[in-house]
Amino acid sequence: MKNIKTDKADILLIAIGNSGRRDDGLGWEFADKVSRSCGSLIDCEYRYQLQIEDAVMVSRYDTVIFADASHTELKEGFEVKPCLAAPHYFFSSHMQSPETILYLARELYNKTPEAYTMAIAGHDWGLGKGLGKDAELNLQKAISFFEKEFVPAVRKTA
Amino acid sequence: MNRKITIDPVTRVEGHGRVTIHLDEYGQVKDSFFHIVEFRGFERFIQGHPYWEAPVLVQRLCGICPVSHHLAAAKAIDQIVGIDPKDLSPTATKLRRLMHFGQVFQSHALHFFYLASPDLLFGVDAPVEKRNVVAVAVENRELAIKGITMRKFGQEVIKAVAGKKIHGILAVPGGVHKTLTENEREYFLDGKNIENIDTMIEWSQAMVEFMKNYHEQHRKFLDDFAFFPSGHLGMVNKQGGLDLYDGLLRAVDSEGNRILDDISTDLYQDYFSEAVAQWSYMKFPYLKKVGRENGWNRVGPLARMNVCDFITTPLAEKARQEFIAFTGKRVNNSTMYSHWARLIEVLHCAEEIKILLHDPELMGNDLVRKGTPRSKGIGIIEAPRGTLTHHYEVDEKGMITKCNLIVSTTHNNDAMNAAVKWVANNVISRKGHITDGMLNQVEVAIRAYDPCLSCATQAMGKMPLKAELYNYNGELIDEKYKNG
Repeated sequence: MKNIKTDKADILLIAIGNSGRRDDGLGWEFADKVSRSCGSLIDCEYRYQLQIEDAVMVSRYDTVIFADASHTELKEGFEVKPCLAAPHYFFSSHMQSPETILYLARELYNKTPEAYTMAIAGHDWGLGKGLGKDAELNLQKAISFFEKEFVPAVRKTA
Repeated sequence: MNRKITIDPVTRVEGHGRVTIHLDEYGQVKDSFFHIVEFRGFERFIQGHPYWEAPVLVQRLCGICPVSHHLAAAKAIDQIVGIDPKDLSPTATKLRRLMHFGQVFQSHALHFFYLASPDLLFGVDAPVEKRNVVAVAVENRELAIKGITMRKFGQEVIKAVAGKKIHGILAVPGGVHKTLTENEREYFLDGKNIENIDTMIEWSQAMVEFMKNYHEQHRKFLDDFAFFPSGHLGMVNKQGGLDLYDGLLRAVDSEGNRILDDISTDLYQDYFSEAVAQWSYMKFPYLKKVGRENGWNRVGPLARMNVCDFITTPLAEKARQEFIAFTGKRVNNSTMYSHWARLIEVLHCAEEIKILLHDPELMGNDLVRKGTPRSKGIGIIEAPRGTLTHHYEVDEKGMITKCNLIVSTTHNNDAMNAAVKWVANNVISRKGHITDGMLNQVEVAIRAYDPCLSCATQAMGKMPLKAELYNYNGELIDEKYKNG
């Protein structure tokens, strides 16, 4: 079993979404594609929503990326932003923000990984499989940026 | 002037609900309601699907309780293929039990550490920024780490047998589709990769002790807060011991008199009916022979402590004895003791998981059995939140023609409304000013039942919970939303 990774990669990619809700599957699709191209450099985890216990996993990495679909139109079709620890709190138990997960990793496990959010713009949130045309284009741009610019930059600073 | 209070959303529960409290011109509570306002109709759209899809489809009712729905449906579908619980292979039964104990363990840990502990640690009228698990993590680091680790352990058990923590699949009609390997078993025993099952038992005992100490310091609060008499329903084995996976249905009234005497789960329809109300999508189950007004029962950890004669594992049984000794009564009708009862069940599940992990039959290869097909199957289990019923009927082609789900939270519908009424009458009534702390106490009362409103109504989508305050003219004069 590979639940607690001892043989971990340099980067943890947490893909958030639901491939049964059209463009909400952007995060998962992004993880599928980059895990193929980046191989052992990246560990991918798939989530419907972030949960408190994800702080344990996050605390084991130096670099973490949270990838999710965005309801908002984005200039480039995607957007990468640094993500900082902050104690946001949602009313439910099973939907936490990336900032809160980082906050818990810091407070409970004394670990503050360098973290980013990768937002990819989607449009269709209906029931069903498969991305829409625009979402597919945005995904390609996000992957291209990630492979050509983001990963080399991380490797350089590592 | 008459006023109406609305709490919407009710926080730290699973699902979307709303509380309304109606006051008269003197500020006295006239009435209160806990509304469930989401609806999906799972029972209807599952019709027309082949029977073998049911255990997989019904998991999508919820991201919190998928295992419970998977197993209750599986027990029902076993009967469609002619297999009663006693005919299932020992390996299949034990693997399903392991999955179930893993689910109850992680679900109860989630509820206690993530949802309920802020109320207990910081008080029911603590400022809003304290009333969440993040504050618990900061101020009670060790407790938070234990809570997270315990929940994760339960999830890992589920993943080991079902492939995934959420929406994994173990059961197939008449059995299971995989066994547990030696490596998977050792993962939970050797403590090399995760804290092992002995640590889980030790921590579970510590949590029961925590609750006992809390009880010593806050006995009046636990005794009095949201106290009301009611019936209690749960499942027991043939000897009267607590059984979360399979057994007989037993109910007692508020004094401990048996009102449902260990009936076979197949017969539930003869004893239970469901009422509806105009103001909620959630139904109101009740015992026919007692009637709609008094025939409703609480379900879940407190009810299970009240109906069983003993617990089958030694440490949890010792904890139950102490629980009964403290309350001094055969039946405990105090809402807040649910938290204590829940922790006793955490300990019971940890003990059961250990017993199963040491049982060589868990790794057997006799996985699936078949019998003579039938047209009806009824599966009942004790889910974390209480008695859960799945009932399916199929046509000659095996297509589902009827589905009836009585979800645990539905049984607690009347109880949660009674708890809200208690808070309305004892905390809010005749107070000139309604504070945030007062409204939080409404939520504390509901939260003790750990409701899963998404299961109870089979709803989907965003699910915040909402409080409204109405005056005697029926005009909304105050409201509160909790979206995060």
